[in-house]
Amino acid sequence: MATVTFDKATRIYPGTDKPAVDALDLAIEDGEFLVLVGPSGCGKSTSLRMLAGLEEVDGGAIRIGDRDVTHMPPKDRDIAMVFQNYALYPHMTVADNMGFALKIAGVSKDEIRRRVGDAAKLLDLTEYLDRKPKALSGGQRQRVAMGRAIVREPQVFLMDEPLSNLDAKLRVSTRTQIASLQRRLGITTVYVTHDQVEAMTMGDRVAVLNAGLLQQVDSPLGLYDKPSNVFVAGFIGSPAMNIATFDVKDGRATLGNADVAIPASIAAKVAEEGSDTVVLGFRPESLTPASSEETGGIPVLVDVVEELGSDAYVYGRPAGPAAEEQADRLRSDQIIARVEPRNAPQKGEKINFTVRQGSEHFFSVKTGERLEP
Amino acid sequence: MNMRHGRYLFILTFLLPPVGIYAIYMLSPYVQAIYISMTDWSGLTAAQTFIGFDNYVEMWNDDQLHKALWNNLILVLVVPVLTLLLGLFFASMLNVGGRSRGGAVTGVRGSSIYKVVYFFPQVLSVAIIGIVFKYVFAPENAGGILNRVLGAVGLDGLQRLWLAEPDYLIWIIVLVMTWSFVGFYVVLFSAAMQAIPRDIYEAALLDGSSRLTTFRKVTVPLVWDTVQVGWVYMAIQAMDGFATVHIMLGINGGVQGAGDVLGVAMYREAFAEADFGYAAAIGVLMLVLTMVAAILFMRGLRRERVELA
Repeated sequence: MATVTFDKATRIYPGTDKPAVDALDLAIEDGEFLVLVGPSGCGKSTSLRMLAGLEEVDGGAIRIGDRDVTHMPPKDRDIAMVFQNYALYPHMTVADNMGFALKIAGVSKDEIRRRVGDAAKLLDLTEYLDRKPKALSGGQRQRVAMGRAIVREPQVFLMDEPLSNLDAKLRVSTRTQIASLQRRLGITTVYVTHDQVEAMTMGDRVAVLNAGLLQQVDSPLGLYDKPSNVFVAGFIGSPAMNIATFDVKDGRATLGNADVAIPASIAAKVAEEGSDTVVLGFRPESLTPASSEETGGIPVLVDVVEELGSDAYVYGRPAGPAAEEQADRLRSDQIIARVEPRNAPQKGEKINFTVRQGSEHFFSVKTGERLEP
Repeated sequence: MNMRHGRYLFILTFLLPPVGIYAIYMLSPYVQAIYISMTDWSGLTAAQTFIGFDNYVEMWNDDQLHKALWNNLILVLVVPVLTLLLGLFFASMLNVGGRSRGGAVTGVRGSSIYKVVYFFPQVLSVAIIGIVFKYVFAPENAGGILNRVLGAVGLDGLQRLWLAEPDYLIWIIVLVMTWSFVGFYVVLFSAAMQAIPRDIYEAALLDGSSRLTTFRKVTVPLVWDTVQVGWVYMAIQAMDGFATVHIMLGINGGVQGAGDVLGVAMYREAFAEADFGYAAAIGVLMLVLTMVAAILFMRGLRRERVELA
């Protein structure tokens, strides 16, 4: 059991000027399940490997509990890691794979057998203990990799996209297994993924990285409800948030004939930074179809309807009189709205959507930071 | 002509020429050699008489041949072991043995230079290697490099007339052959080690495995297939040893014939003693021994194949 602290940890790969991880400040609590998430190349795996000791730390420090492990070799850090491709020893049986670290540490044979047996029971691997990895399915290999980490009883678990090689269905079930296993064992865990659904469903807290910089650390709902900048707003949430630049005038944000009332405090902040536009984000569920005679909506031509049973999503593009300007100002090339699944529109239909009052997110045009009313 | 007939004709057209060439140039020399080994042919005249197994009986009683056989046995056991162990060790240091501060899995510092240096002996012809090492072990006044070095560092007591000591000869050959072959195996094993996924080494690192343990428990088992191939190949090469011995020690296998090997003995009987029949008998013996060695090594080293997932 231990806390993990990144203290301005920086990694600059030789031959590059731009840090892969730039002054990462992150405090992970004892027993916490923290997910590092971000697009590929954002530095999340590098951060994890720095913690593991597989990557040099060029600046700052990393601590596990009170120990400064910044330049400590991996074996002295008391961590265990689950790799993306599992990295099982192909020539050893499942039991030997799981017991290898203990054997090196000089643990007695009986103790190894007991601990491997316990872990195997926990992971439902008992009948496979004598098999080699090549005789296992992908899901079983994944569990062996988990078992190898559990047997060590380390202070910290590190997981580097452990589910990305599983098929979609297995990924969903393993996701919950890992989360509940972690809660049961209570071992501090750092989990890397590029999949924001995984991040949201598994983590106690989620840290969002982009281009080597930490964007925000918060609980999944915190990230969803109060994204601290435009990047987090666009990255977290599936389907993604609609984001567009609106003109600010007379206490209202307008874009073509779309018109949203904004709080006076937001208008004041926009005026304060000397701009007359604001970035406005609204999630698919914040859009409601309006009767056509209402004004202030965004007319949308439906391109695709995704019917998922419990939900239905409309993917479309602006189709009103100011369609061109609206399309230009949108961050993505489509508008996404959630609609009644039993009453979904057909593709080709034109619907007028309005933004539900109070559910908008405002961001500064200049800094991309969240503007709080 | 029906379809079936046409297909056989087609297959035969492509099969016969290569099989024919193989039979004429590979199989028939063996058969001829076996026949010649049962004659008293001198190799200089057309006269040859069939004498059955007389040449083989003579081999049985030939002390010099026993010496050559014994030396071949030393070569075939010691040279592969030394070469493969060194090759594995060097390849492991060049590819995965280094430990940078960050713990990334790489070779030791400067490994790209070492890789080239280790391969040097492989581009030299055996003749040049033989001559170079003749100088290394020559007496000091004849340019003997080893003796000079020993003298220069004050180890005069270790100076020897290396090539004049019957007991040393075969071990000098062992050394030279190992030196000349090790580079090839470094390259061979390097290629095999490059194919092992890095994350397996990282997992070993996290599991607390030391360099030696990683070498023994991870690297070697994962390149074992290549080691096995290398072992058979090396055993066949060591069974020969003709060029090195002939160039360094001469046609009689050095002083008192103490460094003699079967290859040199065969050459001597054929071209110096003009006894092709006896030479052919030695050749047949070498064929049988090489095959037996290859089979034994392949059997003895067989393990379950490891698949890199």
